[in-house]
Amino acid sequence: MEGFAALGQGLGLRPPFYEAAATGAAVAAVDWWEVISENFMGEGGNPRRVLRAARAHRPIVLHGVSMSLGSTDPLDTRYLDRLAALAAEIEPAWISDHLCWSSLGGHRAHDLWPLPFTEEALAHVAARVVRVQERLGRRILVENVSSYLTYRHSTMSEPEFLTALAERADCGLLLDVNNVFVSAHNHGFDAVAFLDAVPRERVGQFHLAGHETLPTHLRDTHDHPVCDGVWDLYRHAVARFGDVATLLERDDHIPPLDELCAELRHAGEIARASRGSADQK
Amino acid sequence: MKLADIEARFYGLVTARDSVAVTVAEGGREVRQAVEQMVAGDARLPAIARLEIYADMYFARLRDVLADEYAQTAAALGGAAFHALVVDYLDACRPDHPSMREVGARFPAFLAGHPTGAQRPWLAELARLERARLEMVDGADAETLTLEALRTLPPERFATLSLRLVPSHALFVTWFDLVSLWRSEQPGAAAPAPSPTALLVWRRELEVFHRAVDGEEADWLRRLASANTTFAELCGGLGRGRSDQAAAARAFELVGRWASDGLLRADA
Repeated sequence: MEGFAALGQGLGLRPPFYEAAATGAAVAAVDWWEVISENFMGEGGNPRRVLRAARAHRPIVLHGVSMSLGSTDPLDTRYLDRLAALAAEIEPAWISDHLCWSSLGGHRAHDLWPLPFTEEALAHVAARVVRVQERLGRRILVENVSSYLTYRHSTMSEPEFLTALAERADCGLLLDVNNVFVSAHNHGFDAVAFLDAVPRERVGQFHLAGHETLPTHLRDTHDHPVCDGVWDLYRHAVARFGDVATLLERDDHIPPLDELCAELRHAGEIARASRGSADQK
Repeated sequence: MKLADIEARFYGLVTARDSVAVTVAEGGREVRQAVEQMVAGDARLPAIARLEIYADMYFARLRDVLADEYAQTAAALGGAAFHALVVDYLDACRPDHPSMREVGARFPAFLAGHPTGAQRPWLAELARLERARLEMVDGADAETLTLEALRTLPPERFATLSLRLVPSHALFVTWFDLVSLWRSEQPGAAAPAPSPTALLVWRRELEVFHRAVDGEEADWLRRLASANTTFAELCGGLGRGRSDQAAAARAFELVGRWASDGLLRADA
């Protein structure tokens, strides 16, 4: 997608990797880092030091969790100001957040709650994405979240909603392959059909992660390696969307960096195999 | 159903003090019907069970954040008591900041006014110390005046040397001996001794420290925090009840310690 470069395979920057990222050492497999924007909004100290140092070695992407695009609360302009200031300093490759809501009445849930896929919600979220993009002076990517419930009021599917949102707000999409896998299991839809319904030209980034398998549902935990089913779905995503920047997320039970680099290399092999296959056609 | 109504219903159920099942049961048939009309359920996961997943994640995430931030307080209280305290805290002090770091900002004050804090008043002080240490981690940076720079300062420059504290510091009074409590391997085993103390918390480069300071040092630290003070003014202030020589010696002692601790700004 224009404006969202094919950066290769990236990793979520978490504290165990701070020093490696700051020095640029031993991270050959990491083409870029994605950081949780809110964790780097403090005035100083180690997080800002690490971010500035990491930026000298690799591209950085700011990935937020608190924009609350779907909330009926007013947009938090102070939050947007802080995000804009961070972006001005770090010059990220791009900025992303989630298709969800996470605040009401001024209270913050620090979770990613699902929206009803209705025309009213679409108009509401699209207008807010437009305002966010105007404030940040750039297009953003909006990510599909893992979900555990759907609303009876929904009048369209999630990919239909994402497609309409991207067109109305002229934003990009961050396609979280694990989230599609988790939600497909939890709601009984076809994950491949989901990917096929998302417009090729709007996807600017992929997310890969692990999840937890429970008796009644899958839970998006980012605490396991990527499972075979998600790798298969990723193969399909790469074949459909082409050379798109891919990010591996790991937030808990974080293994040594080498293990995550092996997963990144595997993602790279899948992307290269897909490109080779496309070239032969 | 409007988006605002859906969000209000969802929020009320998922963030309630009790489980979704209990909240719905207490609401009666009308609430149950409203939930079933709002959320699609199936045999594997009925509507209420699906909402319960969100309720569990909401509480667990915030509790884990608080348990990390207030690890010593949690250890002193024990798991069950800390859990019960967090339930009360989140009921009274809903997070209202986009950063997770601020979820626990009101916790020490809340604990001080809570029955648990009334029974063991040192717990709220311990929580305040933990909070202060956390706030230092990503507080504002400043270039510091080093001991080496002080040693190479020409003697004639000392009188006009301007002293000011770095921004990442906190100074407050506690009524219990938290310094000893902090070093304890079992912080909840015994109540700390009552011992009114001025406690200084600060960050030197990337590491956070705290130490007790005496009343005289605390007074000067407060002054250096709010305005630039020259070394001559420090000597003059320390001269009350001391000879000029003793005042100068005390001033050199304090300034040397502050520089060694990384407490003084280089650009004061």
